[in-house]
Amino acid sequence: MLPVANILARKVRTTISVLAVGVGVALFLVLVGLTGMLREIADRTTNVEAHLMVWPASDQVVLSGGLPADKVQHDLETIPAVQRAVPVLRWPLKMADRVQNVYGIRPEDWKIFAGPSAIVEGRALQSGDEMVIDTRLARAGPYCVGQTVQRWGRSYTIVGIAREGVAGRVFMPIQTVSRAMSQDVLRASFFYVRLAQAGDVAPVREAVEARGLRVITFDEYYDVLASSFVDMDLVIGAVVFVAGFVCFLVILLTVYTMVVERTREIGVLKAIGASRLQIFGLVMAEAGLICAAGIGVGFLLTWGSRSLILDLQPLWTVEIPAVRFVYAAALAAGGTTLGAIHPALRAARQDPVESLRYE
Amino acid sequence: MDALLEARNLVKVYRTGAAPTPALRGVSLAVRRGEFVSIMGPSGCGKSTLLYLLGLLAAPTEGTFLLAGTNTGTISDRGRTLLRRRHIGFVFQRFNLLSTLSAEDNVALALRLRGRPAGTHARQILAAVGLEEKRRRRPGELSVGQQQRVAIARALVTHPDVLLADEPTGNLDSESSERILDLIGRFHADEGQTVILITHNEKVAARAQRLVRMRDGRLLDA
Repeated sequence: MLPVANILARKVRTTISVLAVGVGVALFLVLVGLTGMLREIADRTTNVEAHLMVWPASDQVVLSGGLPADKVQHDLETIPAVQRAVPVLRWPLKMADRVQNVYGIRPEDWKIFAGPSAIVEGRALQSGDEMVIDTRLARAGPYCVGQTVQRWGRSYTIVGIAREGVAGRVFMPIQTVSRAMSQDVLRASFFYVRLAQAGDVAPVREAVEARGLRVITFDEYYDVLASSFVDMDLVIGAVVFVAGFVCFLVILLTVYTMVVERTREIGVLKAIGASRLQIFGLVMAEAGLICAAGIGVGFLLTWGSRSLILDLQPLWTVEIPAVRFVYAAALAAGGTTLGAIHPALRAARQDPVESLRYE
Repeated sequence: MDALLEARNLVKVYRTGAAPTPALRGVSLAVRRGEFVSIMGPSGCGKSTLLYLLGLLAAPTEGTFLLAGTNTGTISDRGRTLLRRRHIGFVFQRFNLLSTLSAEDNVALALRLRGRPAGTHARQILAAVGLEEKRRRRPGELSVGQQQRVAIARALVTHPDVLLADEPTGNLDSESSERILDLIGRFHADEGQTVILITHNEKVAARAQRLVRMRDGRLLDA
């Protein structure tokens, strides 16, 4: 009753405090969610019927110049536990105002990536100057089946649209990409390797590394990708700290001001029977109400921000699993509690006589 | 008859600033259950300080104070809070109602702080002070006389043994003052309420059964 009445008595200050907590919550959820883009890329890249990837030893995973496709494929397939090696030639192509990694593949290898059921419109690749894109890129373009895209001095026709989640957003015949790159010999950026048995990784890794190549299992791929960019843990840690600190600081300032303003009232409460614990509880309850409202506002801001980001950048990913809302609420609650404790203790310890005399 | 309150040689020295300030210089006072005592003296004579000690809002520097047989000098701060809850009701010169709560909620707060449900008690006591119809009004919507009546209701809703009133008519006009004094007098006469009222006003002090004068931190007659 009293905490609610008190925070409603100062509507502007309460609103600002609630908004500040909400911004802290939204900041945490959205910024950490944006780091999910790497996870989304990793999930797509490993959404293939294979067990590992083989890269040149020296190149970064993000961009690779190329290995002789036929020669290396044949060589890899001589390793006893290897069932199949599939070359992929990756090359950047700008579509929907963003650079996409084109997956140059052999049309007959399409079933390794997705298979016929993944085509939702049109058809799979066959040959020539054609491409298959995913539904997300199609929406972002927008692009449709039959549309042509002018790149590298040529026209490429969109012959099919695949379900979102396939390894690449754009697939083209590997020969087409190789020609566009003016390669003398067909090359591959990396190979997907399918094993006879999923547990054969160790001997295959040994055999591949003996050939001067690098093995990355699907489990390892996200970490390898993340290491190519800024230190994700550092970014996430910084965001968590800033979000929590915002909540702490705003609540500290708000509650401290509230306690000073109500010095006399605290004296009255003690005179009419309130204990130190009750005074402490009242102040913490007011902070808690602001925090709870702030968390609610934060969730709304998160939803709105995520919608806006995806509207403006449809190919971005803002990954917010349900459990992260719990973390966000806990972060806000933790920051609020820390911020409110000192002023609450101050209020509880106030001398009632001095408080009653306070003007 | 045993005293409900018994103060023996109370001394209170405030140690703020460069020099210590003695507010009470050895006050002894005994009040029996059902008595109406007024303590009268000029501004700064220590009346309010005495009231705060009797109401357990502060502890004496020296001396003994017994409340309902309990020696308050030996108890903790929490113990003083519990004693105050059980035995004391306060009325202040400036009413000191909480501006964010209605009249009814202000009165009910005293019950809720004691872990008791408000029920209809707040409403009943507001009716007893003639303010049932204004129970939903906030203090800012009441006259000063009405605010003081709410404050009296808040003080008495918990049926304290002692009502301590610090210049309850200090901020009121004469008509409102009379109504407040009549109200306090009625609770004393009808309910046997023990009242200690401090004032600098002779006319107000004369309402009590016993008048005790105070000057320079000492009682002139107890």
